[in-house]
Formats: sequence, C-alpha cells, structure tokens
Amino acid sequence: MTAMTEGSTIDMTPVIDSVSSSTIVEKKYKMIAENVTVLYGGIPAVKNVSMKFPEKTVTALIGPSGCGKTTFLRCLNRMHDMTKNAKVEGKVMIDDIDLYSKDIDPIYHRRKVGMVFQKPNPFPTMSIHDNVTSGLRLNGVRDKKILDEIVEDSLKMAYLWDEVKHDLHKPALELSGGQQQRLCIARALAIQPEVLLMDEPASALDPIATQKIEETITELKKDYTIIIVTHNMQQAVRISDYTGFLYLGELIEFRETKKLFTDPKNELTAKYVQGRFG
Amino acid sequence: MSTVQQRRQQYRALFKQNVERRLLIDKIVRIIVFACVIMAIIPFGSILVEVFKNGAAAISIEFLTQIPGAAGTGEGGIGPAIQGTLIIIGLASLIGVPIGVLSGIFLSEYGDNPLARSVRFFNDVFMEFPSIVLGIFAFLVIVLVLGHFSVWAGAFALSLIMFPIVARTTEESLKMVPVSYREAGMALGLKKWIVTLRIVVSAAKSGMITGILLSISRIGGETAPLIMTILGSSQFFSNFDVPMDALPLRIWRLSLLPYDSAQLQGWGAALVLIIIILGINLAVRYFFMNKRRKYKLFGYAINGSR
Amino acid sequence: MTRLIDPSLHKLSLIMSEMGDMVIESISLAVDSYLDGTNTSEKVLELSDSIRTKYFDVEDLTFDMLLKYQPVADDFRFIRSSTEISYAFSRFGRYAYDITLVRDLFGDISDCKNASLVESSKKVKNMIKDAVLSFAELDVRKAVKIREDEAFIDKIYKERLPKLIESNNTKCALAEALLLRYLERIGDHAVFMSDAVNYIVTGKHRPSEERIASHTKVKN
Repeated sequence: MTAMTEGSTIDMTPVIDSVSSSTIVEKKYKMIAENVTVLYGGIPAVKNVSMKFPEKTVTALIGPSGCGKTTFLRCLNRMHDMTKNAKVEGKVMIDDIDLYSKDIDPIYHRRKVGMVFQKPNPFPTMSIHDNVTSGLRLNGVRDKKILDEIVEDSLKMAYLWDEVKHDLHKPALELSGGQQQRLCIARALAIQPEVLLMDEPASALDPIATQKIEETITELKKDYTIIIVTHNMQQAVRISDYTGFLYLGELIEFRETKKLFTDPKNELTAKYVQGRFG
Repeated sequence: MSTVQQRRQQYRALFKQNVERRLLIDKIVRIIVFACVIMAIIPFGSILVEVFKNGAAAISIEFLTQIPGAAGTGEGGIGPAIQGTLIIIGLASLIGVPIGVLSGIFLSEYGDNPLARSVRFFNDVFMEFPSIVLGIFAFLVIVLVLGHFSVWAGAFALSLIMFPIVARTTEESLKMVPVSYREAGMALGLKKWIVTLRIVVSAAKSGMITGILLSISRIGGETAPLIMTILGSSQFFSNFDVPMDALPLRIWRLSLLPYDSAQLQGWGAALVLIIIILGINLAVRYFFMNKRRKYKLFGYAINGSR
Repeated sequence: MTRLIDPSLHKLSLIMSEMGDMVIESISLAVDSYLDGTNTSEKVLELSDSIRTKYFDVEDLTFDMLLKYQPVADDFRFIRSSTEISYAFSRFGRYAYDITLVRDLFGDISDCKNASLVESSKKVKNMIKDAVLSFAELDVRKAVKIREDEAFIDKIYKERLPKLIESNNTKCALAEALLLRYLERIGDHAVFMSDAVNYIVTGKHRPSEERIASHTKVKN
C-alpha cells in the first residue's frame, strides 16, 4: 500500500505494534475494532481500520483535519445510527460482543461506552444535579437516594465535586467552560460505562481548564478505558499510553505513545508529528 | 519609502473621505429606521389609547357578569361573551395545540423524507387560508351535518386556524436546538423519543410557547368563523351542542346597533378582549418560564429541585 | 516550508560541526606533541576553551528548543544526542590539553615511544575522525570500527600498565601511564558518541546493563 505525497512514494502499510510484544503480562483488550469502514453517501471516510484498545489505558487518535479520526471514534458507540447517509461496516467488539451485530440491543450495549464532545453541551434546561443524572433518570431510575449518591460519585471522579457541591441545583449553564466540560464527563460517567470516548475534549478550553481535564483523564484511566481524539500532539504525548495515527481514513501507525513520537516507523507519521505536512 | 508604507499612505487618504460620508449615511439610516418604528407603533398605540379611552367607562362588575340587556337600554353586560371566549379558546387549544405540537415534532425530528416535505408544504399553504373559508368549511362539515350551530363547530374551526401556526413555530423552535444536545442524549443511551421529548422539547419550550400564544391571540379575535359555527347567543353557556356567545361576536353585534349605550358597551367589550389576551400571554409565560430565568429573577430563593 | 524549529536546528548543526573540526585538530596536535615532541599546548588550550564555550552554547540552544518547540521524532533524537555528543567533544578537548601537559611536564619524551603507544595513538586519531564524521553524516556503519578500535586501546591499556611497574625508566613509564590513561578515556567517549549517533538514526539506545558493566567487566 503506497501513497503519493509531494512526488515521493510513501509506504502506507500500517505499522501496528502487537501489544504483547512489549509487555510481560498478556494484556486484555477492552475494545477491538476490526475492519471498520464508514461510507458517507458511498464515499469512504474511514477505510478498513482495525485497532485493539487495551483495558485501563488511554489511546490517543491523531491525524490531520479530515483524516477520519472523529468519524472512527463515533463508530465505537454507534453514533452514526443518527446520521442519515452513513453506512458502517466491520465489527466493534467490546468484551467479545460485537456492537454492530443484529442480535444485540444497541442501546443497552451503547451504555457501556460513554462519550464526551468537543464543545461542552450540558442540557440547558437542567441543573447540575439533573444533568449528571439525566442518563439514569430519563431511563426510569427514580430512587432519589441512589441518584444523589451517583451525583456525588460522578462529580468527584470528574474533579468537579468540590467546586459545585454547595449548590447542585444551580443551572448547568452558569458554570464556566471548563467546569461544563467536567460536568459532561461526570454525566457520561454516571451511566457507569466501561469505555470513555472523548472527541477533542479540551480544544474549546483555556490552558488551565485543559490541564484540569488532562489530570482528570489521567486519574480516570485507573478504572476506565479511554480513547481520545486530539489534534494537540503534546497532549497526546502527555496523557496517552498508545497512539494511533490516521491519514485519509486509513490507519498508518499504532504504537506505544513514547515509541511513536520518538521513533516513528512510518515516514508519513514522522512527517506529520514533526510538522512537515502541507 | 517601502511599498507597505506607500500603500498605507495611499489607503489612509481614501479612508478619510470615506469615513465622514459613511458616518453621515449611518446617521440618516438610523433616523429612517427609527421613524419607521415610530410609524409602526403609532397606530398600535393609538388603538390601545382609543380602546381604553372609550371603553374604560363601561367597565363594572355588572358589565362583566350580566347577560345582555334589551337593545339600547344600556343595561346588562357581556358576561356570556367573556365566558364564551374563554371556553372557545380553551377548547380550540385542546384540539389544535396537541395536533400542532406533534406535527411540529414530526416535521423537525423525523422529517427528512418526502412525506414530511409534502406535509410541510400543505401546512404552509393552509396557514394562509382566509379564516372565513375555514368557517364555511366547519359550517358544512359540522353544522349542516348535525343540523344546528354548536360549540364543537366553533372549536373545530378555530383549531383549524391554530394548528398550522403551532406546527410551524414548533418545528422552527425545535430546529433551533443545537444537534449537540441530541447527540449527547443519544450517547447516554437514551431512546430517541425520550431525547426528543425530555431534552429537545424542553430546550425549545420558549419558542414553542411563543408560537402557541401567537395562535391563541389570533383565534381570540376571529369573528367570521364564529359567525358560521357558534352563531352567538344572549345566554350563558349551557351545552356544547348549542350556540354560544363570544366577545368578537358580541363586539360586532353591539357596534352595529345605533345606540350610544351599545357603542359604549362595544368599546368595553373590546377592552376586555384585549386584556384577556394579554393576561393569557403573561400567565402562560410565567408558568413556563424555565428554571434559568426564574433563577436569575429570584436568585437563590427558589429551590428548583424536582 | 520552514518550520519554526528549523533555523535553530541549523544553528545547532553548525556549532556541532565547528566543534567536531576543533576536536579533530586538538587531538591530532596533542598526539603529535608526544610522538614528535612539538610544543602545542597553547594552541590546544585555546581549542579546548573554544570547545568548552561551544558546549555551553549547545546546552543553551538545545534546552531552548525543548522549551519552545517540544520536538518529537528525528528532531527530538537529534537534539538529545547533540547534548551528549557535545559533552563528549568537551571531554576530548580537555583530554587533548591534558596530553599536551604531559609533554610540558616531562619534557621531550619522543624517545619514550614504543610500538603499542604509537599504534594506540594512531587508532585514537582515526577513531576521533570516524566519530566526528559518523555524526556529521549520520552514518552508523562506522560504529563497528569505532568499537573495535576502542577495544584495542583498552587491551593495550590493560596490558601495558602492569609492565610499566617493572620499568627502569621512571620518566617514560609515568608519561606512558598517563598517556595510555587519557587515550583510554578518549576511546570510551568516542564509543559513547557513536552510541548517541546510533540513537539518532535507529532510535535505539544500547542496553543499559552492558553500558554499566563495560566499566568493570574484563574483556578478552
């Protein structure tokens, strides 16, 4: 597989570290994507991408704009069901269950995968408390005691509890941008997912808020498997264990973060991370 | 002198002339716009003033609660008309609002297909129908069939006027809710109808209420359809199957009588109608004001927990 | 398209290349000082000080680049190795000066020379040339030769030292002991350098156990 870039041929055969080659203990994979292809009105946006995400790690997906990383991320919780012209092929396995198989209830399994979006989007008509519990309340959970407990747990995990505990019934939109984003994280955590997908979670935030989000992610990975799309390579270096580089819808390289950034095997990767693109 | 400096000098000379002229044009336009606003408000203001001036004298407890007296005597009141207006608005809303809202939701959330497109088109056409035509339609379909004028017919006619407006404004309000809230709801594993009703509609409440109130204000003053369906009466409401009075009808009847006292009562009825519509607007707005506004208005005093 | 980091990288390469040339010159002059008896200490001192200054320049420049540009991949490895290599260069300059001091201290010792000293000296001169060249051209093939030369110098060092104890000529023995010591140190640093060059090209460090043990393990 080759691609022509600026007159030179670049080898596009994906370079994928099999994780077990670099670790002593056999790592368990929380999520496995196999041959995922996404077509928008017949035009492929993601081409035959396969990745394995080890559990309780952070994987960063990087690549230039339009390379398909957000599209791929949205396959992992079937968000494309909402998009009219989108067609998804391939398998996405979470704990050996294929999310796209016809036999399973997508809504039930989609709850194992939480998502946080680029622009913080807490529900505007709800308070902080109600926002966090929305995933549960609107699904029929009524027990106030349990809901209150979950609110406290989730806000603590998102590192927002101390800042809002005195007034949980304040409207969510009264919070600052960084706080709103952490609220969205708490809301996603409240449904007790196992995997957390994050689409450029800090790109709309100021540096201090970004730092807090990164600290939160680093704490969360002790209990959750996190996959984060980011255009900020330094952020990928700071917080991720594994990094996948996508270009024009294809996976070019997937390795331990440190290795990918200090010694990329694929020439295209080296060019991209060093800013020699475009 | 470098080219950048040359260019700077060149363009700066241009700006000087330009700016003065543009500020002048700005002022002129602003005056014109202001004048237009005044021209638009003056008739509206003067109507209110006239109605108030002429009608205030007629208001009294007797006026508001009694049935109409003999023509020309100046006795009696518009009690049945007030009651009738409230009843007919209420009934028409009960029919028109749910249908309108559900259509609006359908068009907005499930509306990317040929069926929805044709529904939307016919909806827009329907909105422009003259109300007298809708009145005649109700007359043919209900009054003639049942054999008598009735409240049902009136409510039906008014709901036909209502629901296209409600459907349209509902659809527009829902479309204004950013996609990200739907995505967030979906990512939480919520079913589509829950996301639509509990999250999207909730966020679009304000716009939807405005649409509903607009339609209520519209039908509150419709006269032609009422002539053909509820006909009017001098008695209080008794039965849904018989004619009933309503303020627009009463105003019309009173204004046609040659007596001064009737004219006065007519003005009074007009004033009452305006106040009722205004009152409904304010009451509904307050009741549905979302937590955020209440919070801003009343601060920490309100505990909005469910 | 020039990236923000490119002018700084270019400047770094320039300084490193100047240092490399100075290192070759200073070692050559130093070796000649005892093989031929020439007085070169002033010149070598001058070179050594220049090299040392440039070493600090390189430190400043590399850390500045890390702060500003957060480089990755090739850039990162080049910058990291440059700090290690510039340190090696500064050591070479220092040892070269120390060698010329031997001649100053002991006077003309050109008649003390023997075959193994001459051989070691030649090898060191070549090693330094190879090391500097391999960095300039990022050519890792020279690493094998450098390691062989270093092993040879080590061997000579370990063989000759015991023999010097039994020597009659104190002056020559002491001089040779000092010289062999400096040559051995230069050889070691040349190998460090070639490891750093290898890191730039291949992304691999040499395994650390070997590095640690190489000081104590007896090589045959």
